[in-house]
Amino acid sequence: MCVGLSAKVVRVQDGMAMVDASGARREVSVQLMDDVEPGDYVMVHAGIAIAKITDEDEHETDEVLEALLA
Amino acid sequence: MSARLNQSAAQILSSYDGPPLRIMEVCGTHTHEIFRLGIRKLLPPQVDLISGPGCPVCVTPVGFIDEAIWLAEHGVTITTFGDLVRVPGTSKSLAGARAEGGKVQVVYSPLDALTYAKEHQDEQVAFLSVGFETTVPAACLVADQALQEGVENFSLLTANKTMPNAYAALRDSADVFLYPGHVHAITGTALCEDLAAQGVSGVLAGFTAKELVTALAVAVKKSQEGEPFFVNAYPRVVRAEGMPAAVELIGKVMEPVDAEWRGLGVIPQSGLQLREAYARIDARKKFGMPRIEGKPNPACRCGEVLQGHCKPSGCPLFGKVCTPQHPVGACMVSGEGACSAYYQYGGDLL
Amino acid sequence: MSNQVTLAMGAGGKQTAELIEKVFARRFQSPLLTADDAAVLERPAGRIAMSTDGFIVSPSFFAGGNIGKLSVCGTVNDLACMGARPRYLTCAFVIEEGFSLDDLEAIAESMAATAAEAGVTLVAGDTKVAGRGQVDGVFITTTGVGEVVEGAAPAGANARPGDAIIVTGDVGRHGCTILLARDDFGIEADVTSDCAPLWSSVEAMLAVSKDVHVIRDATRGGVGTVLYEIASQSGVGISLDASSIPVDPAVGGVCRMLGLEPLYLACEGRLVVIAPKEDAPALVEALRRAPHSQGATIIGTVTDERPGWVVMNTEVGTQTLLPQPGGELLPRIC
Repeated sequence: MCVGLSAKVVRVQDGMAMVDASGARREVSVQLMDDVEPGDYVMVHAGIAIAKITDEDEHETDEVLEALLA
Repeated sequence: MSARLNQSAAQILSSYDGPPLRIMEVCGTHTHEIFRLGIRKLLPPQVDLISGPGCPVCVTPVGFIDEAIWLAEHGVTITTFGDLVRVPGTSKSLAGARAEGGKVQVVYSPLDALTYAKEHQDEQVAFLSVGFETTVPAACLVADQALQEGVENFSLLTANKTMPNAYAALRDSADVFLYPGHVHAITGTALCEDLAAQGVSGVLAGFTAKELVTALAVAVKKSQEGEPFFVNAYPRVVRAEGMPAAVELIGKVMEPVDAEWRGLGVIPQSGLQLREAYARIDARKKFGMPRIEGKPNPACRCGEVLQGHCKPSGCPLFGKVCTPQHPVGACMVSGEGACSAYYQYGGDLL
Repeated sequence: MSNQVTLAMGAGGKQTAELIEKVFARRFQSPLLTADDAAVLERPAGRIAMSTDGFIVSPSFFAGGNIGKLSVCGTVNDLACMGARPRYLTCAFVIEEGFSLDDLEAIAESMAATAAEAGVTLVAGDTKVAGRGQVDGVFITTTGVGEVVEGAAPAGANARPGDAIIVTGDVGRHGCTILLARDDFGIEADVTSDCAPLWSSVEAMLAVSKDVHVIRDATRGGVGTVLYEIASQSGVGISLDASSIPVDPAVGGVCRMLGLEPLYLACEGRLVVIAPKEDAPALVEALRRAPHSQGATIIGTVTDERPGWVVMNTEVGTQTLLPQPGGELLPRIC
């Protein structure tokens, strides 16, 4: 379920944001998010942003592993 | 650094020598990615990865497709995610209904379905609202908007599902749940913490190769420690509090209802339907739809597959009469279904 | 003349002659193209290859081309895949009443330009006009004749275990372009169709070696479908390295958004080439010097394991099957 796509916010207007995923752009709803700004990364599903994220999936996963191995 | 850690994760998996361990991924996108990336092959034989009922298309009952076809045959334009188009109903799929002249429009988002309705005022437009907590907020957004703006030609045909009672129903089928990352991006982690307190272990997982391998390594390592556990291995996306505005919106627009899961039967309070205030955009009420009950194929063993009691290849229909081109059972109907992924990515062959 | 195609223009009278003169004849100029009932041509030396293909594409114009360019590329590329230098081309149009004459002229213009680039001569044509709604804009059928290069005999059944698999550029761009042009999913991206005539690429390869086992253009169904066809025709297994398959970043972004596999999106200017492993580096080098195959790269090898199947070597070091082609491409969202 729930194919997600991480994308960068390009602009925000009236609860909608233009997001960019390696050059593929589309308007998505950010109505349910607090403060989203251009430059933020969001996880997008079915046309809405479902989470504000960082762009560092490698790094954040490394931290999970470090904690596990500690 | 990263390469060393990747290797550590793979090593944790391959060197596991504990007792048999059943891990259930409860998300169709996990199932799809795990098969696409060949991640099962990193697991030792005593770790069994079960593909649970986490694909909304798979668990949508036959009768729902029949309802959608009923609408299409009554002149209603169907807007739907592409996932549902080929799913067989009792006598045909939406693709079949389209070939017979029904209007079926594939959309990326419920938002696009509403836009389509506004741009086609001479058509009645229904959106097929399937999906779990991740997908429900988008449907609720448009439901709310359609009602507020008084869009008269738009409605929803709902078959949405929620996970909490499904976890409860499946708790004996797995030792560790691989929780669906994007569902909990919405609902938060409180439920997972509660389940751990009740003795049900789980790891929240992301969707890249690295995130999946890491989550599985966490599951394997923590299991050896003996205590029930919950680990959020997808902190990049999932916060403890989830997305409160989305949860609030769902509660405003929809209410829990007993729901049929194709292959599993009825799970109490595991579905969502539009509240009375939204009756005007509830397709069943708006079009006075009769009660439609679908007839699934009795030979299909999907229910057992979804609970890990049977491998896809253990079903007599698998790969013979039931293939992705001609699916019979729930698990074969969607690209994210357990049987479909098993068949397409060579579960048996490789 | 009206600014739109009318039924009268297809009736065979004066208006038909005017349409042909104004739109086609002046662009397709050749001594071989006459007003007579058939073209009379010199016989090429050696064996000839012949192919025909019908083209329907909605919309008729897209980034990087239009149905006219497509209809020339499609047939000359089919000839090139048999090791044949394209020589002659015929074209038949079925045009919807009301179709814009300006658009028709633009289509004819790019057919002429593409034919010139491919070195093929348009020698005969036909024009019909169908009533509104009976066709979608314009349909074009082209038939081509080519001259097979002496000593070249590529065919789908010729792949041998140990051969290298080459793709001549990034995959899925045409299919992605059309998907975006239809604007069904509200997605924008700077993606241009790869539509191109590929004889120059094949010629460059044959100059290196005539012993190229298979050449296929990966049109409808994309590279994935072509590889399954070859695996089945040759009775071999195909092993791909997932990380080496070239995909334009924006095409990748669109595919991730919609849950699609780029290997199954159509190309109109990409070849899948299978050749002896030892020749592969020189072939890749030659391809990269040709104008439409600068992104040529090796993506896998032919094996004797699991005949009929395409196996992917994944980023985590495991093997899975590439799912078999499955009809209509539908986005996977929920």
